[in-house]
Amino acid sequence: PAGGAAPRPCSTQAAPQGINKPVIDRIIRVDHAGEYGANRIYAGQMAVLGRSSVGPVIQQMWNQEKVHLKKFNELMVAYRVRPTVLLPFWNVAGFVLGAGSALLGKKGAMACTVAVEESISDHYNNQIRTLMEEDPEKYKELLQVIKQFRDDEREHHDIGIEHDAEATPAYSVLKTAIQLGCKAAIFLSERI
Amino acid sequence: SVVRCQHYPPVRALQASAVLRRVSDEHKKEPFTPSSQQQFDTHPAGHQPEQEPPQGPRPSYTGQGGQESEDYESEEQLQRRILTAALEFVPEHGWTTEAIAEGAKTLGLSVAAAGMFHSDGSELILHFVSECNAKLSELLEKEQKLVQLGEAEKKPTDEFLRDAVEARLRMLIPYIEKWPQALSVLLLPRNIPSGLSLLTSMIDDIWHYAGDQSTDFNWYTRRAVLTGIYNTTELVMLQDSSPDFEDTWRFLENRVADAMNMSSTASQVQSTGEAVVQGLMGAAVTIRNLAGLNQRR
Repeated sequence: PAGGAAPRPCSTQAAPQGINKPVIDRIIRVDHAGEYGANRIYAGQMAVLGRSSVGPVIQQMWNQEKVHLKKFNELMVAYRVRPTVLLPFWNVAGFVLGAGSALLGKKGAMACTVAVEESISDHYNNQIRTLMEEDPEKYKELLQVIKQFRDDEREHHDIGIEHDAEATPAYSVLKTAIQLGCKAAIFLSERI
Repeated sequence: SVVRCQHYPPVRALQASAVLRRVSDEHKKEPFTPSSQQQFDTHPAGHQPEQEPPQGPRPSYTGQGGQESEDYESEEQLQRRILTAALEFVPEHGWTTEAIAEGAKTLGLSVAAAGMFHSDGSELILHFVSECNAKLSELLEKEQKLVQLGEAEKKPTDEFLRDAVEARLRMLIPYIEKWPQALSVLLLPRNIPSGLSLLTSMIDDIWHYAGDQSTDFNWYTRRAVLTGIYNTTELVMLQDSSPDFEDTWRFLENRVADAMNMSSTASQVQSTGEAVVQGLMGAAVTIRNLAGLNQRR
């Protein structure tokens, strides 16, 4: 059970009244699921390629994802958002995707990274648009967070490209398949 | 803070005719103090004066849409006032149209006002549940403020859960005779979505104030467990004839203790399992070595 010596932000100032709760709920739930999945993907990749030459690169990207996940954990508590039921599933699926792509080699892992990060950046851009349409002032903090994370994910995408992701055999097939999976995951996590 | 008070608006909204709605005359005279709200004014904390403009109906929930101008009352607000007034008559008449009619009478409205609602008392019951949940949230919010100000000790989780569930169930005591009827109405297919939604948000509220910060599957496990505890304790309470329901509170204490044990047992099982596996691996390696030694001879 929770509630140890740490301060409990139960009635925190970070969660204001008058927000569009259903929209914010969805946004935070799906982003949390996404960062959780990304963490697991990198964990899978590290399990296979941890000791290779791209190990440090993947580790660094993973560390950034850990920071993202931590932030969304905080936002989730502050806005009292329910996490998606599918978390245990994303746990396994993410790891399998990461490990599977890494088994295709370093380029395969990078291709997976490129595909996922591109999906996530597009997704964050959509959310930024939604929030801007709603009320940029009211959601300033959230917008800032999402913009920052979107920039980080774009950086990961570029790192993937730099490391010869596009040279992977069957790159476009792999990329399309992974991005379809991401779209499905986003759709489900928003709702369930 | 994010205080989520969900209210259930009465479903059947017939256009109230002028006969039913002598509001602008009546509500100016009527102080709004339903009996069911009195029980909670003994709580010493929070010296905020109750906002009770005598000329307008008081919205019961935070986060509600803005109050209209003083002499206009929305249909929903009127219906809520009638239902709140009707609660006083539930112990005598049950969750029925009679109770609603009596309630309407005390507000100076015609008994035909009861025709706005379903005959099985669904809206009355859902309104009651929603009011109780709101009161519970207020209570927990006040307690939390006390703890934050350092005027009270933070309770351990099991005690917190016990107290919260007990506080919420005690709100049923004045209506306990008629509560089984209410439960069966809540199980009607028509009412299940709303009833379930009220239950889940109440349980979520309790865990929130208990300090739950889980963002993984535990979020669901904890709420499911607490829902089970709440429901079973409620059923026990209906059968309980001990003085001040002490058997019920003892049952509640045991269930909460079980739940706490369950979570530590789960982690114990896991670590025991891991230890067993390691033991087996060690034994296997030992046997292999022994066999190997044998072979080398």
